[in-house]
Amino acid sequence: MNTRLTILFLTLLLACSIRVLAQSQSSAPTTKTSNSAVHKKVKTNDGEQRFQANCGRCHTPPEAISPREVKAVLQHMRVRAMLSAEDEQLILKYLAP
Amino acid sequence: MKRVLGTLIALLGIATSVCAQADVPILSGALAFNSSTTGGATTFQPTLAPVLVAPIGDHWLFEGRAQLLGFFFQQNGTSGPYNGQFFATLDYAQIDYIANPHLTITVGRFLTPFNIYNERFSAVWIANLQDAPVIFPIGTRTSASSNGGMLRGVVIERPNWLLNYTAYFSALQTTENLQAGRAAGGRIGMFLPKAGIEIGASYQRFLQNRNYNVAGTYFAWQPPQIPLDVRAEYAHSLGGQGYWLEGAMRIAKSRGTTTWLGRLQTVARVQQFFKGTPTPQDLLPSADVNQFDFGLNYYLPHDVRLNGSYGRQYSSAGNANIWNVQIAYRFLFPAWPGEHK
Repeated sequence: MNTRLTILFLTLLLACSIRVLAQSQSSAPTTKTSNSAVHKKVKTNDGEQRFQANCGRCHTPPEAISPREVKAVLQHMRVRAMLSAEDEQLILKYLAP
Repeated sequence: MKRVLGTLIALLGIATSVCAQADVPILSGALAFNSSTTGGATTFQPTLAPVLVAPIGDHWLFEGRAQLLGFFFQQNGTSGPYNGQFFATLDYAQIDYIANPHLTITVGRFLTPFNIYNERFSAVWIANLQDAPVIFPIGTRTSASSNGGMLRGVVIERPNWLLNYTAYFSALQTTENLQAGRAAGGRIGMFLPKAGIEIGASYQRFLQNRNYNVAGTYFAWQPPQIPLDVRAEYAHSLGGQGYWLEGAMRIAKSRGTTTWLGRLQTVARVQQFFKGTPTPQDLLPSADVNQFDFGLNYYLPHDVRLNGSYGRQYSSAGNANIWNVQIAYRFLFPAWPGEHK
């Protein structure tokens, strides 16, 4: 019974992995442009990606973080998630643009 | 309990007096109610877990988390009237000096950084399944907290990978609510942000009663393309060894989806524990354990989460069904009122 459950779980995991690989191969590459507005958006996206990559590794983000709370939240995460300097700056810009 | 609350209030007062308005402390945490039925015995556990974070300038930070827990159970296990009691614990109350991204110095009481479950996934509003893994006591023996000092930071940072470390020492503390074991250890981890993969290893030398080594390793994978979280840990100690492997997936194309179906998350976990040499008060099961858990989490608006899970435990000490239902509300607000900038 235990072995069957383990095999079932691993099969589900394998199916998810295959789906990930399939999606990554079909996704189109991002077009680069020198437009400053787009560049700013890319930076914001960088912050969002870093936020997801670092903070989202453990938990879903709170629905709202006010500007007054950002510094404390970020310092807390800096210690907990051992953010790099670049991550910290990008996430700060994302949370408090 | 009074001592814990007194300590928290005193630290809040100190933080309040030294912080500038720009460094507003935050009060976060969760309020939760959990119902658990294991082998037919039902218990109810209301929980309040406040977290206080107070930055003091750019380099200093105070962080603290307490838990006020209620535990209500039937007098005869599966029958009779319910009895209950409340108690409090102090999970951490630490002062951090953030020298730079490579070094943070921590003193005080902190979560023992053995593998990653204790530090990162054990909070009531974060854990995908409410029951901690069977191997959780390995490396976090006594209270899962340490009293002493810790160094941590990023060793090397590259665009495609990052290496981090943690080293700590803890002194023996037997005071109620502040218990900690005498131990020293460390952890090293590598994070590959583009792939969403994290691997690492932990080591600890338990330095009281019968000195022995504890070791562990962990793996986490969060593919950027789909909302899947895979986490696993292995740990070995004198008292036994084992592993757990957990997968959680949101029923959506991306993590931020807020459709009614996109708020649903399915979770599954398998774990095995193999009993070693029994050691006193190691908090590990008395026999080998195989366990499977399946759960559903639903993320409601306003940071409320509902979750339910079913688990089946197979052990020579007795098989059991484990049912858990929980509602948790996560809160976050400034520790004192003020105008938005």
